[in-house]
Amino acid sequence: MYQVEASKALLKPRLWARRSTRLRVPRNVVMLGLVSLLTDVSAEMVATVLPMYLVFSLGASPLVFGAIDGTYRGAAALVQVASGFTSDRWRRHKEVAGLGYGLSALGKVALLAAGNTIGGVGAIVAVDRVGKGIRTAPRDALISLSSARDKLATSFGVHRAMDSVGAMMGPLIAFGILFLAPARFDAVFVVSTLFAVLGLAVLVLNVEGKPRRAPREGAPPRLRAAASLLRDRRFAPLLVAATGLSVASVSDALIYVGLQRTIDFDPAVFPLLYVMTAISFMALAIPVGQLADRVGRVPVLLAGQALLFVVYGVLLMTSVGYLALVACLLCLGGYFAATEGVMTALAGAVLPEGLQASGIGILITVVSLGRLVSSVAFGALWFAIGLHSAVLVFATALALAIALATPLLLRAQRAAADG
Amino acid sequence: MALVVVCVLLGGGYVVYAALGPGETTTDASPSAGRLPSETAVMVRAVDPSRPALNGGVFVVENGKVRRRSENLACERVYYAAGHGICMGVAPSGVDYTASVFGEDLVPQHSMRLTGLPSRARVSADGRYGAMTIFVSGDAYLSSPTAFSTRTYLLDMESGERIGQLEQFEVRKDGAPFDAVDFNFWGITFDPTDSDRFYATLGTGGHHYLVEGSVRRRRLQVVRDGVECPSLSPDGKRIAFKSRIDGTNRWRLHVLDLATLADHPVAEERSIDDQAEWLDADTLVYSDGINVYAVPADGGGEPSLLVRDATSPVGLRN
Repeated sequence: MYQVEASKALLKPRLWARRSTRLRVPRNVVMLGLVSLLTDVSAEMVATVLPMYLVFSLGASPLVFGAIDGTYRGAAALVQVASGFTSDRWRRHKEVAGLGYGLSALGKVALLAAGNTIGGVGAIVAVDRVGKGIRTAPRDALISLSSARDKLATSFGVHRAMDSVGAMMGPLIAFGILFLAPARFDAVFVVSTLFAVLGLAVLVLNVEGKPRRAPREGAPPRLRAAASLLRDRRFAPLLVAATGLSVASVSDALIYVGLQRTIDFDPAVFPLLYVMTAISFMALAIPVGQLADRVGRVPVLLAGQALLFVVYGVLLMTSVGYLALVACLLCLGGYFAATEGVMTALAGAVLPEGLQASGIGILITVVSLGRLVSSVAFGALWFAIGLHSAVLVFATALALAIALATPLLLRAQRAAADG
Repeated sequence: MALVVVCVLLGGGYVVYAALGPGETTTDASPSAGRLPSETAVMVRAVDPSRPALNGGVFVVENGKVRRRSENLACERVYYAAGHGICMGVAPSGVDYTASVFGEDLVPQHSMRLTGLPSRARVSADGRYGAMTIFVSGDAYLSSPTAFSTRTYLLDMESGERIGQLEQFEVRKDGAPFDAVDFNFWGITFDPTDSDRFYATLGTGGHHYLVEGSVRRRRLQVVRDGVECPSLSPDGKRIAFKSRIDGTNRWRLHVLDLATLADHPVAEERSIDDQAEWLDADTLVYSDGINVYAVPADGGGEPSLLVRDATSPVGLRN
């Protein structure tokens, strides 16, 4: 329980008051952050040990793994749009998000009960993915609806920082348990289940389902209204900008592969790359969110996107020293801190109250499709013209995407300000 | 708040319970000899068939007798040549892996942390170079952190230091540079007559290329498609390998003649996922994950059970 206390302490307004303007975050956002933190501890504990568990306890060949996991990603994207609209339509964001968190918690229980076959583990991973797909859009809508319009980026920053604290702690707790009880994967699953249950309990008991900006009157939105978001003069430009930026951004997984080709790592160092990026993200998410609310979300988001140029630059170097590597990872963390949450905050500001979850669901789906296109294109370019040329093409594409996104995002923001 | 207390008590209690209970990473299983021809000796790693991923002891089977050779070695994968060996296995925590380099006395001299699951190990016939392949998660492109890719390292067996990683070697195919994001390498085999020269598998875009490489020049050249886990014969003229059955994860063992690049299957008809080993100029040994078998390399005869409850066979010559 130490970790929950610690994360609460981290968010005490007093701690931040000395350094900058007071960090005032709505209680609902902190509670949703806590839900995500606990759920991420639970999920990452399992994700960390699942490969070893399958091989070690079930005798599975590592080749089975791709098959177990890869197939469900597409399904999750479609679920996001559906759950977003459904929660707007029923005006039950909390309940729909709860269904998603509940499914993942059930998955952990199932892992204890029926996780001793490879097929069983596959089914459980699928349920977990679907649960994640269901909860994301309504949860982000709740964060948005709980926050004042001029504090959205701060709220998302706080949520994302708490979320990443959980993602960092999960593996540590899992390794800690296995250090105390070698090869006892069941103990990891039991503790993971308890974290999932705690997360769900915080959601049910402490999260307000009808926060201040939540619509209470008027007819519930129809599907046509959600579909017309694609033509909305405020939301559509944002969607186009987000698509362009996601297509021109090389995914972090590919960046790590590229770094690995360039640098002769001690293999034991490799996991530290992820850790360093995550720490950078965790440290920057809140201040960057506050900055975005103060000086404007669009410039912060664009500056964050531009940090990718540093990462691309390091990938272009023929020999990378540790200093360049650290700079690259810090920039990668900064890029994440200044883009995903800030973009969602922008969406929250331009979307009508009644269609928050629908719009955010559409945004997430479009961005994940953009990332898929980006990964396929980067892989094809790497094969055709080599890593360095592929990076140069993506750097050019990123410059174009930023040039395209700037007027679109500014227009969306202005339109939002006009109401 | 009460719920938090209950969860802490339950979770803490279970971890303590688990910590006090059994949770070993090494099995006490020992192999038993099957029909081993006289004049031959094989080193194997013991396996508990019900828990094949536990580390097993290293044994030598000779003249129908099984002898445990070391109290200090427990592995998932072992290889040995000319007084130098590699032992890859799970670390005591059960989530980490280690490799150790050992000498003639089978005592570990150097060890290193592995960031993935042990897959293949080889040592050159002169004991100079070693090679290890591991499965790693987390950097497979287009897929999730639980998808796997491979990494293959070259070692200096004297110092135990890594001297190269195939992912960073320059690759050429049909005279032109060849590169792709999904390059994976596995299964090195060293030329018994020239330890600088080796073969390995390059997996990319659904193909599994046989590549020929040089340790010193850090270069690889694509030879042909459809060859996994190559293993050079003692004369360096033939390669035993896994031939994949049409896009499945099932394989037949084949032998390739390097002069003609033609290949033929051996008499083993089951799917085998192992890097075969040459017992002598005419015989292959391999494991199905539970037992070690031998089969003639020329495609005739039939498989015979060599050692029961053992994997990772190493032919001990001289």
